[in-house]
Amino acid sequence: MNNVGIPGSKPRTPYHEFYADDFTPRDHYRLLWDHIKATGNSALEAKAHESQLALQAEGVTFTVYGESEEGIERIWPFDLIPRIITAAEWVKIESGLKQRVRALNLFLGDLYGEQRIIKDGVIPPELIYQGRDFRREIVGIVPPRGIYTHVSGIDIIRDEKGEFLILEDNLRTPSGVSYMIENRVIERRILPEFFNKYRVRRVEHYPSLLLAALRALSPRGTAHADIVLLTPGIYNSAYFEHTFLAKEMGVELAEGRDMVVVNDIVYLKTTTGLQRVDVIYRRIDDDFLDPLVFRSDSSLGIAGVINAWRAGNVAIVNAPGSGIADDKAVYPYVPDIIRYYLGQEPILNNVPTFQMTNETDREYVFDNMERMVIKAVSESGGYGMLMGPSSTPASRKEFMALVQENPRNYIAQPVVYLSRHVCYMDGELEARHLDLRPYVIYGEDIEVVPGGLTRVALRKGSLVVNSSQGGGSKDTWVLAE
Amino acid sequence: MRYLIEHETVLEYPRTVREHHIELRLAPRTDGHQQVISCSIETEPSAEFASYQDYFGNRVDYFCIIQPHNRLVTRLKSEVETLKENPFSFEPVPPSGEHEWLREAIRRAPPMNDFVLHRSLLTPSAMKLAEAITCAFPRQDKDQPLLESLLELLAWVPKVFEYRTGSTEVHGSLVSAVRQGGGVCQDFAHLFITVARSWSIPARYVMGYLDPGISQVGEKLATHAWAEALVPGAGWIGFDATHNLLTNDHYVAVAVGRDSYDAAPQRGSFKGESSGEQPAVTVTMQEQQ
Repeated sequence: MNNVGIPGSKPRTPYHEFYADDFTPRDHYRLLWDHIKATGNSALEAKAHESQLALQAEGVTFTVYGESEEGIERIWPFDLIPRIITAAEWVKIESGLKQRVRALNLFLGDLYGEQRIIKDGVIPPELIYQGRDFRREIVGIVPPRGIYTHVSGIDIIRDEKGEFLILEDNLRTPSGVSYMIENRVIERRILPEFFNKYRVRRVEHYPSLLLAALRALSPRGTAHADIVLLTPGIYNSAYFEHTFLAKEMGVELAEGRDMVVVNDIVYLKTTTGLQRVDVIYRRIDDDFLDPLVFRSDSSLGIAGVINAWRAGNVAIVNAPGSGIADDKAVYPYVPDIIRYYLGQEPILNNVPTFQMTNETDREYVFDNMERMVIKAVSESGGYGMLMGPSSTPASRKEFMALVQENPRNYIAQPVVYLSRHVCYMDGELEARHLDLRPYVIYGEDIEVVPGGLTRVALRKGSLVVNSSQGGGSKDTWVLAE
Repeated sequence: MRYLIEHETVLEYPRTVREHHIELRLAPRTDGHQQVISCSIETEPSAEFASYQDYFGNRVDYFCIIQPHNRLVTRLKSEVETLKENPFSFEPVPPSGEHEWLREAIRRAPPMNDFVLHRSLLTPSAMKLAEAITCAFPRQDKDQPLLESLLELLAWVPKVFEYRTGSTEVHGSLVSAVRQGGGVCQDFAHLFITVARSWSIPARYVMGYLDPGISQVGEKLATHAWAEALVPGAGWIGFDATHNLLTNDHYVAVAVGRDSYDAAPQRGSFKGESSGEQPAVTVTMQEQQ
């Protein structure tokens, strides 16, 4: 979930979300624009200050790694000018995401079952059998109603023509939803008058949607649904979100060591004894989930939980093994996956992608490395990638060697210019690049929460929006019809 | 032949451990080559068992011991009937069609890809192996029947290293065993598998037992390991590289996998202090009348 661009050498102008041209805002921004013009920068400054105080008071933080061993906790960076998505735009995003999530779940059920898609030659077997996240340990287990990804966070960008494109699927433990809600809480406080004028759709019901989806999975029925949010602990960069969601849903927050499996039943250790667990909303990766079957050195997981899952005594959300469907090497095949399982054309397209296992693609990418983003397939958060435009000859040479040694492990994409939006930066309104991560809940049916996390590249000209790499965020307003 | 196999594993911990979960791949297979007459497993402390069939078709028996303990014993007792077969009695596919036969077999059953594509420290790439060996890397002549090539490979493996008791750690790397010039049966099997895969022949690891009357490695009896390769027209054929033999009714297969890690007889996870305890394993295999 990252993208880069070439400041100063732009072949095309990025799409501007806010302005139709140099002087006129787009229609759906006019109301807001008029207000900003009328009240002036000093009013904005006061609002920015107010939002900053509110974030501090609420303790909305995130953790940055790399600068020190332990990670640094920072106040969540919030830009007060909202990003607005029209009802018509949202219809396309919503239907495109539903289609994609439905197809990806059918794909997972097939991979861990009959593998018709491989037998029919639609995707090469190497893609799956050499994928780090294809979990042989769960082949043959069918999760309730065949759903694997109850929670998905799908990254969308907008190209120069304003077309929405899928940049990345996040189907393992997608994070950021707490910031979507916190952004809304802050925005309601500082721009209250606009919510009715604009008829902004709600996002605050996300925790209740998730809770309903989790309850519905309880093997003992919804009347007996004891749910635990499994966190790797306080050092995880998303720990704020884990506590936030547990509190909002009213479920237990626990670490692996707080639980024990006895004869295929999962229990939480409480002061009053063992308490049965029906549903685990886990925020740790497959690798660490069960030291008995996955990484034996993991102390974060619960030994025996996969056998309890196989026995049907507990639900795990998202299902183990989901990661193979958001493997970046599988991503180029998602349009074919949609056609194969649904017999439909994709509503939202992918960013053009080169596969490093393909020799022609590889040669082309090596010849054009300065205009490419090269990504390691099993990394995320802006790690393990080469940003062509800002790369050095030495780093390009290093990446070329890495790709040649293990082509399955890399993909490349031409640099896409993310759309821009106005942001209030140190007293001025300035254009910054952004993307969008909407959240999709697959419970009784597939539901896309109208909104999402809009992430902003705060540095001028930068196209890196990850909060771990200096990104900020905006409230995202999806308008009712 | 009919064999009675007893396999005992004792694990002792200097400090008590608890919440101990164990998976066993100990029950012999029932397949075209052998039939299980009886099979029972017991543990100390005693536990409630459950089982499932894993991805590779192995039966897994699992249990947990929650309360503190500092000793864990598992005992398998099984009677198995092995069938006498002639490994050469099959309708061969002409050499020109053998690779197509294999490709078709893989197309029909995609999980077979694992037995060609899998690479690990135990079964590395041909390139990594070639760097480590001092003799010429074996080649597969396209005009030669695959079974002949595999038999040549079987004879080639003992030229790379010799059998040395306890010379490598379980789950060590194949390249280091080759560099040291000595290995145990697992290394012999991994070497055979690594070369067969480089020829695009599906090859898998088998953990099981060999009649002590046949075994030439002459030490205390434990589990044995060999390789199976998919031979066009025949199916899986067992190759015991340690003894330069095709497997026969003196062999009892237990578990298969991509390498020895998949087919490990016992795997566990517990809470408590680990001090790298080594299990004490006792195996007896007696021919029954």
